[in-house]
Amino acid sequence: MTPFSPIELWLMAFVTLAIFSFLYKDNPVYRLVESIFAGLSAGYYFGLVWDTVLMQQVVDPIKTDSSNLYLIIPALLGILLFSRLTQKWSYLSRVPLAFVIGSTSGIFITSRLQGLVLPQIRTTFMPQNVPGGSTDPWMIVVLSTIVVVGVIATLVYFYFSHEHKGVIGWTARLGIWFIMISFGAHFGYTVMGRVSLLIGRVQFLVEDWIGSFTG
Amino acid sequence: MRKTVPVVTAFVTGVIVTISFFFNEHTTLIGKVQGGILQWVTIIFGLALALGMVSITRVNFNKIKRKQEGWFYSVLVIVSVFVMAIPSALPVSWSPMFGRNEGSLYYWLWTRISEPMMATMFAMLAFYIASAAYRAFRARSTESTLLLLTAVIVMLSRIPMGEWFLRLFNESLPDWVNIYIMNGFNLSVQRGIIVGAALGAASMSLRIILGIERTYMGKG
Amino acid sequence: MNVWERLAAIDRRWIYLACGIAVLMPFIIPVSLPVYTTPEVQGVYDAVKNLPDSSVVMLTYDYYPSTLAETEPMSRAALHHLFSKDCKIVTISNIPLGGPTIAERVTRELAAQYGKEYGTDYVNLGYKANYVAVMKGLGSSIRSIFPADNSGTPLGQLPLMQEVDSYEDIDFIFIVADNATADYWVSIVNAQYGVPMCCGATAVMAPKMYAFMGSGQLKGLLGGMKGAAEYEQLIGHKDRAVRGMDAQSLIHLLIIGLVVLGNLGYFMGRREKGIGR
Repeated sequence: MTPFSPIELWLMAFVTLAIFSFLYKDNPVYRLVESIFAGLSAGYYFGLVWDTVLMQQVVDPIKTDSSNLYLIIPALLGILLFSRLTQKWSYLSRVPLAFVIGSTSGIFITSRLQGLVLPQIRTTFMPQNVPGGSTDPWMIVVLSTIVVVGVIATLVYFYFSHEHKGVIGWTARLGIWFIMISFGAHFGYTVMGRVSLLIGRVQFLVEDWIGSFTG
Repeated sequence: MRKTVPVVTAFVTGVIVTISFFFNEHTTLIGKVQGGILQWVTIIFGLALALGMVSITRVNFNKIKRKQEGWFYSVLVIVSVFVMAIPSALPVSWSPMFGRNEGSLYYWLWTRISEPMMATMFAMLAFYIASAAYRAFRARSTESTLLLLTAVIVMLSRIPMGEWFLRLFNESLPDWVNIYIMNGFNLSVQRGIIVGAALGAASMSLRIILGIERTYMGKG
Repeated sequence: MNVWERLAAIDRRWIYLACGIAVLMPFIIPVSLPVYTTPEVQGVYDAVKNLPDSSVVMLTYDYYPSTLAETEPMSRAALHHLFSKDCKIVTISNIPLGGPTIAERVTRELAAQYGKEYGTDYVNLGYKANYVAVMKGLGSSIRSIFPADNSGTPLGQLPLMQEVDSYEDIDFIFIVADNATADYWVSIVNAQYGVPMCCGATAVMAPKMYAFMGSGQLKGLLGGMKGAAEYEQLIGHKDRAVRGMDAQSLIHLLIIGLVVLGNLGYFMGRREKGIGR
């Protein structure tokens, strides 16, 4: 069941096929819908900023409570970002930019270390849980060994402060094999992902659009 | 002055947010200050989103003014920007067509035109990846052979037909692919990359807060 | 020009056509092969199943319309599962381009099917900029970051949000994402606030997420359309993802065939030219 009316389905099918037409070659219909898409996306951003930032976060809170008047400051700082569009005044955008980048960096320092490095390193040197819950000790030993060796070898491969010779060279060599296996899995998943997106559009065309002809 | 104020700003905000990690956010002063800073960040960064719209309008307006090749498409871009933007900024109390809610022009245009268009643009990647797999995916060396073989095995194990096929050799084969390839080799490499990248991001953040890294300011 | 050279020089549009047919055919003649459940998807199912009824769950719509085919079935399946357990749902989007509108469209449609009321049973917070600051800021106060919901209604006027004002009031987070936000939900929210979570990720992102599964930071993982199909099957709502699996099978086989053919051409071409002897 689709929540769209027949006219809407035809419109959606038209834009879908118009975009697909690029696969044959570039053509005016594709460029037409592409331009509309670019414009609508920019307009979408405007609506979002107007409503969720300017109205919801600045204007409405000030209207309901005058003690929120301080919210004008971040709004002005945000407006200063537009000075980037000029050459003469672009340096003014540095302060709001520094405010955002400084505070985001503050979050990064703790979250990267506490949220990623520590738990990932800690669990590397613990017996791995076998997916599916198997308690076969051999499986646990093999899986845990793969994980420990793989993490060390990958880190060594990306360690460029020392020449890849001797033990480091061999470990880095092992690292590249691990990396290739992982990238192979990544490629397999990427194919799956891209194909799924195509399936989604074909599903729309067959089930929703053509399906609507037969009711 | 042009550089000192931003460096001090990044230092102060960065230090407050970092230190507040160790304090209760609801009961301590530093926790509350951090909450305020983060609220400001969402407002400042939110307004930056409008930069894109200003920029796209300016570029296309100039194209029309100079009658450059394809200027007609620029007219379409600008018309689309305003058709989407103006009704979204008008109060819903005037008409249900205004604003961003269900029933508004903004909502209708997005769900009926933009969503299918954007989904289709990315769906085309399936064709390109298939073509690339045919033309460029070669077993030229040990490394590329490893990559290729893993990709094929994983692609097989992630589809019902492939799972069925793999089970013909051994009932547990798809499970082993999941255990040893995805949760073994893949997990360890991803973990190595995550740790390396996280350490890099943390040290870069520290450089920004301390004012050593200033490239975000641009030239001048 | 020998046969291998001709094969190598084939117009790309023939490959496109073959792909198109491979995707289209299963919708005309469905096979409906069984979909096996992986432990990662079982983890998602179990995590949601084991939540006490009426728990407050945050569901994220951190995806662009470009990946709707993979992510929307995940959101729909999650909503079926959560609404059937009478969970209270708070939706949020960290994606500016389309995220809040998708959240509005999908959640309202599913809520109507379960007779759920907006404001009491579910709320769509919408979008606020800079997801790192948003995720961290919600730990202090949801209301300071989101003074109003996606439609502009002040949170104080929504009954559900009178009980929920930070991660302390949220029992579980169900991430559905097609980008780096999943990484930050784990590294900021799970690590610092201890909120349990699972993730529905696009296939492109999924390999990275295995590291978070292994570290126990994620309770479960839906990887791409296949993950969504497994979840749909587990909750008993076979929908678009399950129906897409036949096409997924056929086109994967086609691509594997193309890889084999491409390599065969490469090696035969080298042999005929006498390279590598």
